[in-house]
Amino acid sequence: MTMKASSTAAAAIAVDRRTFLAGTAGFTFAIGADGLQRLARADDVGAAPGAQPNIWVSIGADDLIRIVYPATDLGQGSTTALPLILAEELDADWAQVRVEQLNADDRRYGNPKFGMVLYTAGSSAVQGYFTPLRLAGAQARATLIRAAAAHWSAPEARLLTEPSVVVDPETGRRLRYGEIAALPEMAAVEIAEATEADLKPASAFRLIGSDTPRIDIPAKSRGAYEYGADVRVPDMLYASVVRAPVEGETPVSIDDSAALAIPHVLRTVTLPDGVAVIGETQEAALFGKFALEVEWTTSAEARGFNSDQDLIDYAAAAEDLSQDGAVWRQTGDAAAAIGAASRAVERTYLSDYAYHAQFEPMGAVASVAADGQSAEVWIASQTQSWSLRTVTETLGLAPEQVTLNMRPMGGSFGRRTELTQPYLRDALLASKAVGKPVKVLWTREDDVKFGAFRPAAAQTMTAGLTEGGALSGWRHRVAAPSVIAYFNPIRWSQVEPQDIITMRGAENKFYDLGAMRAEHVITERRARLAPWRGIGAAYTSFAAEAFMDELAEEAGSDPVAFRMALLQDNPRGRWLVERVLAMSGWGRETTDTALGLAFAGYGDSMAAGVAEISLDRSSGVIAVKRFWTTVDAGLIVSPDNSMAQIEGGVVHGVSSALKERISIVDGQVEQSNFFDYEILRIDETPEIDVEIAEVDAPPTSIGEVSTPVVAPAIANAFHALTGRRLRHMPFTPDRVLEALA
Amino acid sequence: MTRLTVNGASVDIDAPPETPLLIALREHLGLTGSKYGCGAAMCGSCTVHVDGAATYACVTQLGDVEDAEVTTIEGLSPTGEHPLQRAWIEEQAPQCGYCQSGQIMRAAALLQENPSPSREEIVEAMSSNLCRCGTYVRIIRAIERATREA
Repeated sequence: MTMKASSTAAAAIAVDRRTFLAGTAGFTFAIGADGLQRLARADDVGAAPGAQPNIWVSIGADDLIRIVYPATDLGQGSTTALPLILAEELDADWAQVRVEQLNADDRRYGNPKFGMVLYTAGSSAVQGYFTPLRLAGAQARATLIRAAAAHWSAPEARLLTEPSVVVDPETGRRLRYGEIAALPEMAAVEIAEATEADLKPASAFRLIGSDTPRIDIPAKSRGAYEYGADVRVPDMLYASVVRAPVEGETPVSIDDSAALAIPHVLRTVTLPDGVAVIGETQEAALFGKFALEVEWTTSAEARGFNSDQDLIDYAAAAEDLSQDGAVWRQTGDAAAAIGAASRAVERTYLSDYAYHAQFEPMGAVASVAADGQSAEVWIASQTQSWSLRTVTETLGLAPEQVTLNMRPMGGSFGRRTELTQPYLRDALLASKAVGKPVKVLWTREDDVKFGAFRPAAAQTMTAGLTEGGALSGWRHRVAAPSVIAYFNPIRWSQVEPQDIITMRGAENKFYDLGAMRAEHVITERRARLAPWRGIGAAYTSFAAEAFMDELAEEAGSDPVAFRMALLQDNPRGRWLVERVLAMSGWGRETTDTALGLAFAGYGDSMAAGVAEISLDRSSGVIAVKRFWTTVDAGLIVSPDNSMAQIEGGVVHGVSSALKERISIVDGQVEQSNFFDYEILRIDETPEIDVEIAEVDAPPTSIGEVSTPVVAPAIANAFHALTGRRLRHMPFTPDRVLEALA
Repeated sequence: MTRLTVNGASVDIDAPPETPLLIALREHLGLTGSKYGCGAAMCGSCTVHVDGAATYACVTQLGDVEDAEVTTIEGLSPTGEHPLQRAWIEEQAPQCGYCQSGQIMRAAALLQENPSPSREEIVEAMSSNLCRCGTYVRIIRAIERATREA
């Protein structure tokens, strides 16, 4: 039995009762149209009759409650947080909940924060899905109550729920959700409607705000969690790909004689920008790759990419105030306010390319049918939509000819978000050529050399100060390429010239800056680019908050008072600053250390941070001893996991601030592995103290909120310790020594 | 053909002796709990025990472990209830989880040698293993908990 399903998740959640009909045999509700196939598969797993009041949840006669997980797992914990939100309103017994990965580009489940694209990025899952999932849970609960009421011939309004049980307090009768799902009345019941008025008050939350353990952690502690790289399917072959050393080059001639002489190497497959060595074993493919000789074209424009010179050019563009950039945010007339001030302060801040260093390198498994008319893929990515699109575009197939299996990622941090995924494309082309399933796995060297980076940026900050030392006009110019134009050109055609990936943070909306202008000087792209943890805020907040300290000094004020004057209309922001100052013992006597403050955030979430650093003046090595941070992200669904994400964001921020730098010479990335692209180790990690504000506000985002404050807090602490400024991130020992000289 | 003992069972692996032990474990034996992170002994995601010692499986050749006893995360405890695994769950240490098998195997080797390490000793031993999600704070807490509760 199928029925018409609404075309968007929002509409489906609002639940037009006419679009739902009761099921027949097995009392299974199902929905039709494009959702049918997937749901049928989900039912196979469950194999029990039951009720499906909406697209998000089904309740089996076996008492199991299956909730669709529309995002993908990159370690952020939303495999627990999202189903928990639905389970709260359903009043489900959490132990009976099973989470089912959505393996389709079914836009009814799309991310409301990304125009219903299936896209797990921007710390948006809880924020975007919060209300739709609550409504789905409330509606399912009301439908179960309705069926129980029919069965008992009792008024619905009298019935209550306990976890996974409907109770009639008058008669003491009880029915488990699973029992209700199997009732004959369930087949005839009209699906209930739910609106926001039906949702629980926060004071009644039982699961939201509790420290429910993450469902993924036991398997992740036992080596039993199957990531993309772990997928093995029958008859699978392995491909190792030699990729063009410089973007845009193609193979001219290939000598594969030595590679083919290696046992179990079957053949090579020429790809648009690489050559795949196909082996029956992974080691054969890998040894074959090392033995392969490829001559490449030498004419690509990218041969001219040189990161040192490119950053000098970006800085010149940033500092040329006569050239207006694309306005990112503007309030009043910043130039006039600065012109009218008693003096202007101008500083330029630089930041280098940064690599994701996600632990699982790029890879995919693809199985293209012999007739080329269908394909199955296993892919760890942040987007069902763009992974599917990569398949349909590469093979010329329709979406219904593709079976998608989304696997968890060993980290990602923005890396696997691109519109066209070359690692998946390579697996598809190789599988099509050899007629068998093929696994592509990049080596770490491939992952670094062919990485897609956080863009290098030069930022010129200008501000006016009145005679009394007050701010009068703020101008923030970011000279950097557009990330979106590269990693998702379709999106760029819709939003140009507004690039949230490059520019986020420069809007600086948590302060009252008065007349302000943030603008994007869109420079030429000189590397492969991708979103990176914190996106633009990872460097725009460095510039803005390091500049804030410099302005305070120029104004003869102190960093706290200067900021507080700009936070008069933001009591929640003021609380974060005051609290982090108290936690860190701001103002206390220190001997070999110093403290620095920053206040920033990510999207609609705010964070304050204080770094305590020490310095080895002979080597130029900065050590961050402790880091305190306070965060306001609205309602917190998963407190302990939020703490974990904030801790991790701080570590990421310290790593980026002190160590991480990609350099490019003649179009080739100079670094190749963790020995020359070092990330923070445990012995370099500060003690971290986190406090999350308890506020009555909708949930915002957590995963990236703590990263942006870290670099400026360190830079400001460095000034407190040495009287010198660090204006080029990362603060590597050579740059520190230069600042001290 | 190379014969060795993996998680208590004798196995013969049909791969060239220069094959990385990590590939032999993952792709020939299907023990995918050990992960490839760098192939260069820099990150520790591949950490296993060879004759009881924490070892980078990515730079260990199969030919070098002939007749050796290899233990992977899958063999650390028959039920997955090693005190470290319980502590890892209790402290909710993993995020993406990809490096955590290696972290746990490194910590298990540490505790074998030194059942009650100081915080400094924990940090020193664990400095060979990287975590990009930044779970270091909880890794330390989990090891301290396992030390207390073992």
